[in-house]
Amino acid sequence: MEVVLHLPVVPNVELVAAKAVETLGSALGMHQTHVEAASVAMVEACLNAMEHGGGTVTVRLREEINASRPCLLIEVEDHGQGFDPATAPKNSPSGVLGRSSKRGWGLTLIRELMDEVQIQSTPGKTLVSMRKYVESAP
Amino acid sequence: MNEERIKVSRDLMSDGVGLIAAAGYINNEGGQAIADAATELMGQGCKTLLIDLDGTRIINSIGVSILLEILEKLMDEKGTLAFCSLTPTISKTFEIMGLVQYATVYPDREAAQAAIIGDPSV
Repeated sequence: MEVVLHLPVVPNVELVAAKAVETLGSALGMHQTHVEAASVAMVEACLNAMEHGGGTVTVRLREEINASRPCLLIEVEDHGQGFDPATAPKNSPSGVLGRSSKRGWGLTLIRELMDEVQIQSTPGKTLVSMRKYVESAP
Repeated sequence: MNEERIKVSRDLMSDGVGLIAAAGYINNEGGQAIADAATELMGQGCKTLLIDLDGTRIINSIGVSILLEILEKLMDEKGTLAFCSLTPTISKTFEIMGLVQYATVYPDREAAQAAIIGDPSV
């Protein structure tokens, strides 16, 4: 099974991608809680791609049933300026109150909610690859 | 799951305690709708707010950042914020973003009412 979406930058289009996660994750027999976690990660990845990519966002979802741990693979690709994942901000809950800006949580949420995350970014192309195991720990 | 438009209602649970029920996508618009309801209840003298998210299954970090701003305003007024009926993923998101360090989380509205005003039958 594979789903490919080309998302225009319009309000709430990230929910289309989240719906695809819900549909494919459920078909794979993933627990509802894991499907919802992957959906939130998908939403954050799409929002980042739309904010920084500056154009159509490509989303691919597919099952990896022959992997050592069967999973749902999600890829989100944009064509913006790119960034260095190693120096991207890692937010922490301590001291969150009082900050003038409370934004910038997307990558932190993605890393916490998914089982594997890989980011490849060069000027002109950023690819966020995320895996959620079908049999994730609760 | 992917209901776009959030439905927000507000009510007074008891003297000084406000209830906000929100069902739908908590993004910037959904978060702002909750913030508007919170501002109105605080204007009516509420220093304790309970936000019931029964019916909300998907959120984003922008929406949660607005909830953090509500928390800040309440704490400035020596008030308190509580949530109930969170899905496990929303609960984890609140934990990651630090919201649960400062707000109380109850499993459902009945438990929240019992703890806040001591009357689970309201």
